[in-house]
Amino acid sequence: MPKRRFFFLTLFSLLIAAPLGLISYKLLVLDYRMADLIPATSYHVDINMAVDGHGDDIHMRTYLPKSDPRQHVTEETQTSGDFRLDISSDPLNRIATWKAEAVKGPQSVHYSFAVQAQHVQYRIPTDLQIPKSYPPQLAHYLRAEEGVQVNDPLIDEAIDKIIPRRDVPVLELLTRMHRYLQDELKNKNFSGYTDAITAYKLGEASCNGKGRLFVAMARKMNLPARSVSGLIMKSGSKRVSHQWVEIYVNGYWVPFDTINDHFAELPANFLTLYYGDEVLFRHSRNINFQYSFQITKKLVPKSSLREHIGDSMLNIANLYQTFESIGISQNLLKIILMIPFGALVTVIFRNVIGIETFGTFLPALIASAARDTGLLWGAIGFVMVIVLTALIRRGMDWLQLLHSPKMAILLTSVVMIILGATVLSVQFGLGQLAHLSLFPIAILAITAERFAIFEAEQGLYKAARVTVATLVVIAAAYAVMESQFLQSMVLAFPELLFVLIALNMWLGKWIGMRISEFFRFRKLIWSEATK
Amino acid sequence: MSFSSWIANWQKFHKGRAQVLSMNQRNLHFIYPNNARKHFPIADNKLLTKQILGASGVPVPETYQSYSSFFELRSLEHDLAPCHEFVIKPAQGSGGGGIVVISEKTESGWNSVSGHHYTAADLRRHIADIIFGVYSFGLSDHAIIEARVDQHIELNELSPFGLTDVRIILCHDKPVLSMLRVPTKASDGKANLHQGALGIGVDIETGCGNHAIHDGVPLSHHPDTGAALLERKLPFWDDILRISCQAAQAVPLKYLGVDLAIANDGPLILEINVRPGIEIQNANMLGMRPLLEQVRAPDQQYNTLGNSL
Repeated sequence: MPKRRFFFLTLFSLLIAAPLGLISYKLLVLDYRMADLIPATSYHVDINMAVDGHGDDIHMRTYLPKSDPRQHVTEETQTSGDFRLDISSDPLNRIATWKAEAVKGPQSVHYSFAVQAQHVQYRIPTDLQIPKSYPPQLAHYLRAEEGVQVNDPLIDEAIDKIIPRRDVPVLELLTRMHRYLQDELKNKNFSGYTDAITAYKLGEASCNGKGRLFVAMARKMNLPARSVSGLIMKSGSKRVSHQWVEIYVNGYWVPFDTINDHFAELPANFLTLYYGDEVLFRHSRNINFQYSFQITKKLVPKSSLREHIGDSMLNIANLYQTFESIGISQNLLKIILMIPFGALVTVIFRNVIGIETFGTFLPALIASAARDTGLLWGAIGFVMVIVLTALIRRGMDWLQLLHSPKMAILLTSVVMIILGATVLSVQFGLGQLAHLSLFPIAILAITAERFAIFEAEQGLYKAARVTVATLVVIAAAYAVMESQFLQSMVLAFPELLFVLIALNMWLGKWIGMRISEFFRFRKLIWSEATK
Repeated sequence: MSFSSWIANWQKFHKGRAQVLSMNQRNLHFIYPNNARKHFPIADNKLLTKQILGASGVPVPETYQSYSSFFELRSLEHDLAPCHEFVIKPAQGSGGGGIVVISEKTESGWNSVSGHHYTAADLRRHIADIIFGVYSFGLSDHAIIEARVDQHIELNELSPFGLTDVRIILCHDKPVLSMLRVPTKASDGKANLHQGALGIGVDIETGCGNHAIHDGVPLSHHPDTGAALLERKLPFWDDILRISCQAAQAVPLKYLGVDLAIANDGPLILEINVRPGIEIQNANMLGMRPLLEQVRAPDQQYNTLGNSL
């Protein structure tokens, strides 16, 4: 036995020390930054477009966001139904076109993506003067165009009013123009088109009118300028897009928003969709075109961390590229890496707290599947599948079938219930429940069998109690597995899984009384204590 | 409450807690080191248990027949012709599933204690189910036909609802703690505590009931018959202890629960259990850690990080 003890302690210390050493090495030598481990905000954006066809050909066109140093676009998915999707790209923009022939009845297409963006701010040198000339490729950012009447006398009049002496440095010029547009020109909540002159004359405008007036004045002052369109990302459903401007200063395109008062800066929740004074959607006529943006906010590991992990040499994490090359996303990898944490939670609930659950790993697996349904719908789906399958099992009990064929029937029932629930939830718009198909089917079949045995041998009360206990453990495992900090940590330091093994080894030698046993033996403990 | 009395209470509580065997410790310190996994079938398969115990001269209910294939069932009617009272049970069943107790023979077949009538064809179908593993978690199984135990008259007075059994936990062949498990109306004739049977702690020295619980609540009289549960010496107590020790010595398991029935002419071993429950401590209102400490082998070290016993 001492030999076993020696081996245990050696292995235990190794499993703790080796990962800690590797982590220190990464932090101290490989320049892993802890700041990268703090989760970032990510937005999931779903563009929905719906039309009514009357037998004619239909086309629709919109812009899709591009990844750039400020924003990182990933996880793009689309459903187009009868439509054919073409995506074309030019140096600035990405254009999606959907086409279909002889469309009848209501149709819809979706395009969704995840985006992580950074807040940016530029500092403009105070003494920077307006350049006399620019490279030829910037020429069209100085010209007049429709709605941006650079050469109209009224633009001169506006500039005279704002900047009486025109030979000021760039910073002062931009500050005065920005302050004028932000403070003097009233914000107007109006979704129609306003050109630069109209905005000036009315003394009020929405984002597109202010933007055009800014672009017109900047171009007049020989500063290249362009309008940018995008979304202000906030959880919920919206139809309103936003416009701001970028001015070319000292080699950088610097952003300005004179509705929300962002001077030479752009917040992290601004999504750039496209450059240029264009409309967001173009489509065939008379199709009752409807669109909306469905936005959900999530915390995720920083994209800079992902890149860092990808680059770093000595790294189990370099495997990530291998996984990605065969189509396993980092997101899926993250889910897989979190399952051991869920299992540890289950072990603690069983061996330390003393709660009886269905199966050792069922709670962890259900919790990871519930990432897609949300905890509430995951729990509802779980109980629904178990109870319905247990009812079917009861019927088969009466028929007295053999074990293996009976289990195969239960498995088939679980598959049918999950598919049925998915179809029904799509029909009734319970989008969340539709993701039940990610549930571990075989384990659910076994759980339903266990539930039915509990129910038959020890009564419905006992079976319900274990189900409730299982739900509690699912919720706890879910909370731990959804922890952004742990997710970032395990992505950056997958060697932490060895520490989990060590913790489980320790729990495997823990002989303490489970918390529920203090309750179970409370009278006995006091009786022994007072002897 | 003052701080010092709080401390004193905590110390008392800790002392009480130290007497109680927990589930984690039972597994790590008693089951794993004392019972090799390869020997578990001796307890889990009742046919094997009976063969081994019977060969060592330990009294067990007489086995009339055992069946492991359909082929053997052809002779069933012939085999059962002389039998009037018998029990059919799966060798690897659990929780009493699949057990049929036949109490009399009629012209057309047999009647069970629960009042069902069985023809030979009914019994053949039931035995076929047992062989197919319907009651044994999918394993193919053996069906045992054995003598029905005629329960001792005193126990029948205590509870006529089913077979009362005696559970004795033995460690290194020495009895540690024992209890009587008494069926109630609510337990449907079964003797499992979590199914509603009574647990009566029995003093190893005297064979007398010392404490009784029903669903975790102490009581002194049977809820259905009103019979007094305590201060009654069990018949054949010395034989019970002797036979249990004999059984423990006959098998290579060193921490086990032995279940016995008491017939009018003496005790019989029904089955043995490698994972005996810890609720027996509540039935006795007695923690078993000090008792186990007394019987453990002097050279045995605990399989744990710190020897915290």
